[in-house]
Amino acid sequence: MTSLPSRPSLESVTTINDDGSRRFIHPATARGRFSHWRTIFAVALTAIYVALPWIKINGNPALFLDVANRQFHYFGLTFLGQDIWIGFFVLSGLGFCLFYVTALLGRVWCGWACPQTVFLDIARRIDGWCEGDATARRRLDRAPWTVGKTVRRFAKHGLYGLFSFLLTHVLLSYFVSLPRLYAMMTHAPGENWGAFVFVFLLTAALWFDLAWFREQFCIVLCPYGRLQSALIDSDSLVVGYDTKRGEPRGRKGTEGAGDCVDCLRCVQVCPTGIDIRQGLQMECIGCTACIDACDTVMTKIKRPTGLIRYDSRRGFEGKPTRWLRPRTLLYTGLALLGAIALTAATSTLKPVAVNLTRVTGIPYVVEGGVVRNQFLVRLQNKRNATVTFRLEIIDGPASLHWTGSEGGVTVTPLGEEMRTIVLTLPRADLKAELPLRFRVISSDGTIVDKPGTFLGPIMP
Amino acid sequence: MTTKPDPAEHVPGEADEDALRPHSYDGIHEYDKRMPRWWLLTLYGSMAFSAVYWGYYHAYTIGPMPEQALATEMEENAARAARNSGIINDDVLWKMSLESAVIAAGKVTFDTTCAACHKPDLTGLIGPNLVDTQWIHGGKPMDSIKTIEEGVLAKGMPAWGAMLGKQKINEVTAYIFSHHKTGEEVVVVPGWTPPGAAPAAAPAP
Repeated sequence: MTSLPSRPSLESVTTINDDGSRRFIHPATARGRFSHWRTIFAVALTAIYVALPWIKINGNPALFLDVANRQFHYFGLTFLGQDIWIGFFVLSGLGFCLFYVTALLGRVWCGWACPQTVFLDIARRIDGWCEGDATARRRLDRAPWTVGKTVRRFAKHGLYGLFSFLLTHVLLSYFVSLPRLYAMMTHAPGENWGAFVFVFLLTAALWFDLAWFREQFCIVLCPYGRLQSALIDSDSLVVGYDTKRGEPRGRKGTEGAGDCVDCLRCVQVCPTGIDIRQGLQMECIGCTACIDACDTVMTKIKRPTGLIRYDSRRGFEGKPTRWLRPRTLLYTGLALLGAIALTAATSTLKPVAVNLTRVTGIPYVVEGGVVRNQFLVRLQNKRNATVTFRLEIIDGPASLHWTGSEGGVTVTPLGEEMRTIVLTLPRADLKAELPLRFRVISSDGTIVDKPGTFLGPIMP
Repeated sequence: MTTKPDPAEHVPGEADEDALRPHSYDGIHEYDKRMPRWWLLTLYGSMAFSAVYWGYYHAYTIGPMPEQALATEMEENAARAARNSGIINDDVLWKMSLESAVIAAGKVTFDTTCAACHKPDLTGLIGPNLVDTQWIHGGKPMDSIKTIEEGVLAKGMPAWGAMLGKQKINEVTAYIFSHHKTGEEVVVVPGWTPPGAAPAAAPAP
């Protein structure tokens, strides 16, 4: 037996019944300035997501994670496999930014930018087009299967599926680029089984997420919400209810009643089914729907808006929010430190990768009073243009000669060349192991030095 | 979800529901709630999957383990490569030395890998001249293949077999023998003296 709680309770999860079955909620649509701006923001984010593979910078898509070729194009920069360590700074930096933003602004990521929220808002629009408003949808859920209901359900799930299908294709184009994606789409599935299965499974997963799983992702699966109590403090911005102003609740005109008229509008619009008036809860994704809902009601009954608003927990107690506090100062310091580290790390990246290895076999050859050392130089051009490289060996004595790089080495865009370099030195001039620097100078002025040692029998 | 439920004040909804678990950590109690049904289905589903997986890979070994699958694939690749490369002998290499595409590919490898010692025009510098009729390790194409693959370590000629692979070595040999004619007189000589051997006078060791 599933007894529907009339009101959300702090002691249970609204969307999970006592017997563990799912209670599917239909949040009402809130309209107001926050939903207005959130819509604009969501459209912009979706547009960026779809546009990135189409925008070309330096001949490559703005974001193209070419895993097959280990080439990662990011707004005109190209990173190769050996630059993957930069990923440590990028990932830890992004994680830290999330912590930083949470300390200052609470869960704005969840409410405004998380793909789950953005795409779910689009799915709720699909609900509205196909099945009407929240009340109509609840009625349709209970209604027997008629032709009308079947058509509506088919239309709804068809649109979810189409939307998931499009999103998945965009995601795939980030990894294979659009021309390749188009080629795969025009060929039989059997020629690209991997990609085909990927698209099928991800489309199915997204469809399941939009059609059924929904807020369960945020309240049960996502680890970020669970960290909320550790990431925020009483000065972080949260969506909250002004208890001092609102309580005790009562109809308009009741003696001694606060501003809250207990209309339950904030509960009806909540996508995770909580009552924000019970305080900050893990389930709150900060979507601001309750702010818009409450503001609409307050405007109607001619009371000041902001009974539910963005404020810190200190703010709700009537105290000023401390923006500068040890936590934010420390985070700012750490953010600067991270930015410096990332800048320093990326500035060491050169548009050429040079590898210097000794040719396998014996380390040196003595012949006719001359000592010979042989090296392999591998040059990888990370630019999207042909580059010619010149090799110099510095720190060596005047009698050191080398062959193998005459006329320079020309490397095609994002190409790779290898050269055997043979060094000779009169045996008499080898007084000790000879440290050398191999200098690669590219036609665009980049200089890369690699250390190498000239070995041989040392004359006493 | 609450941190401090007071069991005395708590009114359970139904008889055995919303019972408190017996433990208490730092005063934090826990309700004994049912798990979400989808969560339990996921758990049972993964249990069922593990049974199938165990049966498929471990108990009845219907499918190959990853290492075996890799080994099989590598063997297949090696077999395919051997099939495609065909049989290499002097006649085949002489024929290859007349094909312009093979020569062009061989020249690329020669210029990047061999020219440092044998000079871009093959007339020899540190390594011996490859266009005259004097050979040190035999004048047949298969002799050269052996020299390139295994090297002449004492003289500093590296073993290129692992580094270049069979195809490139065949091509580069064809390129060298494109400078020669089938059936020409060859002389086997003991060694090679580089032209103007030492840039500076070298004392006898």
